[in-house]
Amino acid sequence: MSSLAAQSHGLSAWIGPWRQRLWRRAPEDAGSITLHHSRIYILPTRRGLALLGTAATMLLTSLNYSLSLGFAVTFLVIGIGASALLHTYRNLSGIEVRPLTAGATFAGGTLPFVLSLTGGSGIRRGFILQASEDQTQRFDVPASTALSVTLHRAAAVRGRLALGRVTLSSDYPVGLWRAWAYVHFPLDGIVYPAPEPSPPPLPIGAEGHHALIAAAGDDTDLAGLRDYQQGDPLQRIAWKSVARGAGWHTKQFEGAGGGGPVTLTWDALPAGMSCEARIARLTAWVLAAERAARPFALRLPGCSFPVGQGREQRRLALTALALLPGEEA
Amino acid sequence: MFGRRVRRPLFLDTRQVRWLGTLLLAVQLPQAYAMPVWIAIAGMALVVFRIWLQSRSVMERERVLARIPPYVLALFALATGLAVRQSFGIFLGRDPCVAFLFVLVGIKYLEARTVRDGTLLVCLASFLLVTPFFYNQSLLAGLAAVPALVLLASCLQLLAPPGNVRVEYRLRDPLRRSARLLVEGIPLALLLFVLFPRLSAPLWGLPSDFAARTGLSDHMHPGSISDLTLSDAVAFRVDFLSEIPPAHLRYWRGPVFTRFNGEEWSPSLMRSAGRIVHARGAPLVFYTVTLEPHYKRSLFALDIPASLPKRFDATLPTDLPELAVLTPDQQLIARAAVAQPLRYSQMSQLEPSYPVAPGTQGDIERAENLQLPRGSPRMRALARELRAANPDDTRYANAVLRWFREQPFYYTLSPPKIDHDLTDRFLFDTRRGFCEHYASAFVMLLRAAGIPARVVTGYQGGEVNPNGGYLIVRQSDAHAWAEALIDGEWRRFDPTAAVAPSRIEFGLGGALPADERVPLFARQQGWFKRVQLAWDAINYGWRRHIIDFNSDQQETLWRFLRLDRWAPWQIVLGVSLVTGLWAAGLLLWFRLRQRQRGDRVLMLWNALCKRLARAGLPREAYEGPLAYVSRAAARWPAFTAAFAVIGETYAELRYGRSASSAGTTGDRAVARLRHAIAVLPRARTLRNSGVA
Repeated sequence: MSSLAAQSHGLSAWIGPWRQRLWRRAPEDAGSITLHHSRIYILPTRRGLALLGTAATMLLTSLNYSLSLGFAVTFLVIGIGASALLHTYRNLSGIEVRPLTAGATFAGGTLPFVLSLTGGSGIRRGFILQASEDQTQRFDVPASTALSVTLHRAAAVRGRLALGRVTLSSDYPVGLWRAWAYVHFPLDGIVYPAPEPSPPPLPIGAEGHHALIAAAGDDTDLAGLRDYQQGDPLQRIAWKSVARGAGWHTKQFEGAGGGGPVTLTWDALPAGMSCEARIARLTAWVLAAERAARPFALRLPGCSFPVGQGREQRRLALTALALLPGEEA
Repeated sequence: MFGRRVRRPLFLDTRQVRWLGTLLLAVQLPQAYAMPVWIAIAGMALVVFRIWLQSRSVMERERVLARIPPYVLALFALATGLAVRQSFGIFLGRDPCVAFLFVLVGIKYLEARTVRDGTLLVCLASFLLVTPFFYNQSLLAGLAAVPALVLLASCLQLLAPPGNVRVEYRLRDPLRRSARLLVEGIPLALLLFVLFPRLSAPLWGLPSDFAARTGLSDHMHPGSISDLTLSDAVAFRVDFLSEIPPAHLRYWRGPVFTRFNGEEWSPSLMRSAGRIVHARGAPLVFYTVTLEPHYKRSLFALDIPASLPKRFDATLPTDLPELAVLTPDQQLIARAAVAQPLRYSQMSQLEPSYPVAPGTQGDIERAENLQLPRGSPRMRALARELRAANPDDTRYANAVLRWFREQPFYYTLSPPKIDHDLTDRFLFDTRRGFCEHYASAFVMLLRAAGIPARVVTGYQGGEVNPNGGYLIVRQSDAHAWAEALIDGEWRRFDPTAAVAPSRIEFGLGGALPADERVPLFARQQGWFKRVQLAWDAINYGWRRHIIDFNSDQQETLWRFLRLDRWAPWQIVLGVSLVTGLWAAGLLLWFRLRQRQRGDRVLMLWNALCKRLARAGLPREAYEGPLAYVSRAAARWPAFTAAFAVIGETYAELRYGRSASSAGTTGDRAVARLRHAIAVLPRARTLRNSGVA
């Protein structure tokens, strides 16, 4: 295909938009997409074909025995099928699809993508939303309301995972026709690297004292409360005070593990470790530091993050780890 | 590409099973009467049993179904096939196949488990929609298909895998949607009905299909018309261009019999073509016959055919082919057996006699019509005696008629059986018989006196339907009379008229004594008869415009619409255009309906807000409908219930998921909203009644 395109650039320039229009291979849909006739495909289902075959037999019988009423009944069955086609088309037409968010997950998990569907003034029924082969969602689209549908895609390897082309289909009301439309949004989520299952303890902090992971559990003595800051881990929030209405506070602990910042450095890892193993270890450490509520700095080849703490720091670190080029690069 | 199949089979739920069963019963019922009794009972009992089984507990149902493994069902199907073969004599015929299918759907339904089975059943049921029309294409049979069609579409809806929201459980919702699909499909169906090309000859023939039907037979064995006379079935209907001739002149000429072996009459052996004869001064009658299929070749014409029949065509083209040939004995023989209703234009002369066509093989004809079987000495003696007194042919024939009138002959439909020498035994011993006996004996007496004569069968009389002014000729009007060659002319003699003159004037019901069994129509009077005639008029119209819409009528219509001048591509283009218009019209209609409904909800709500504002409770800008309505309910506690319904319904219509303007539930919800708002008093009353 590519060689062909290279040979005749003019032709491919002409075909390209058409191919995109037909198959929506490239993620070129921006903003909200309203499905209308140029996007909606419709073909008979197996049941539709079976009934069509039956109608053909009925027609042949009526022809041979010249049964006028046989013709009438046959054509009425065909008429029902034909108006069902219009109903199926109409059910899909006018639906507005909008990309909302893509989530994040660790490799091996599933990545949620959220789309919003709006059905105009009438309820639209019996939809199947499918992103590649992974997973399908069945739902009805209520009238005049946006419906959020979450699609989960299996995330096997770290990096970016695009939602890809999504197929919205329905065979409502009689299952004789299946109408479908493709939407392809440039929506992708981050798959964080899978953490090393049992990593060694966090390395020595920048200040020179050891971080004792074993002692860095959450059950150390409560030192006190400080004002909540954006990004504090959820498990450190003093929920009781929130419930009392006393405001948002974050618990601070005294313990060997708490407090001291650590620096997680790519180059400080043993020389024999493979690239992916390093990433897995660093990921595990980021999570451990996060759990222990210790600020950390991350130094990776090509980029580094200053000492920080909280969800934003964690997200940045994990994203950087996810997007690190692989071994061969 | 096509609908993706779900890997795990989807099992039928109770609702689907019940709907499918109802559909099967709805397609079985209209044809059950045409099946052998055991087929009808077996086929429908299986369906009823399965429906009943569905009402039992799951445990019990599974226990019963487990006792019927697939091989038992297969054996049952095989046994049914063999029994059908036994009962019909063959298996690969139309009727045995339909009978087999009738039971087969029951068997399949009994073992249906998955949605796939459901689809198969819907397809089988769909085919069974056509089969009742093999036996009956009346208006009633057509109407009986309508509920089955609606049920068919409903079953398809129920089988379609539902989305998140369970499709409504109300009985009428799928029915209403199906009715809507059906009504919307009608224009397209009509277009196809009119334009889809019909065949003038069948693609394949199943010889056994057309065996032994009603109608006059090719041979006459006095006694065979006895069964026929008892049938009320319509033989043909006639539209006259002019006045309908009086009953005693309406002799419809059919098969003519010349050769007699003492037991049985058969047609002449002459194979030459006949000629149209002209009786001088006799009036011409123009009419159109709509003949019911009788699976034989004879066509019927009034008295003396003055033309060869042509297909009826409203546009009156002159180049239509003739449908039949004329035999030397003035009988119309169609080119092919009449297997579908046939409408032909015909012209006749009304005259009790006609000249022998010039140039025909007169001598052979004469000899054939003088042939006498051996025996019948008493008949020969009577002929000699009467001939001696009446040397003139006409006077002799009249003397024979007089003799019939004077002797104690009885007209009856159930004559005693006569084993040998039919003529003598009938004339001198039994003296009870119907038209065939009289015609046969009369011809014998004429031949014995040297006068060439033959038997003509056909129909006599018929009934004028005042609704539509046409003539109905039934099988019970079948008749036999005689023709004699006297002075170079064939003259009609009706010996039955001599014995029972009222048969000719008033039909069968008038001729038979009151205690003899006659068909329903032969002796009905009063309102019942009027209703029956009105019903026949409706059925005749149905027959003419719907059932008989065959290749010829289609051609006529095409000519009328000037479509025959269109090239095929123009027709295809036209049909596509009309179909496209149909689709565009429907889509536009969907949109209009939807907009209207959406507007209706908003209008109702705005009107309510306005009314409450005038009553002193304006809606705050930030206030959602539910909050506003509950505030109103607090202000006017007397109408708490109404406000609750309003809030709930409006929220459901505007923001809800289960009901909306797409489905029929939307209409109901809108009606509920309107009613709830109508419960509230006027703004002024509200203002003065609220709690502060």
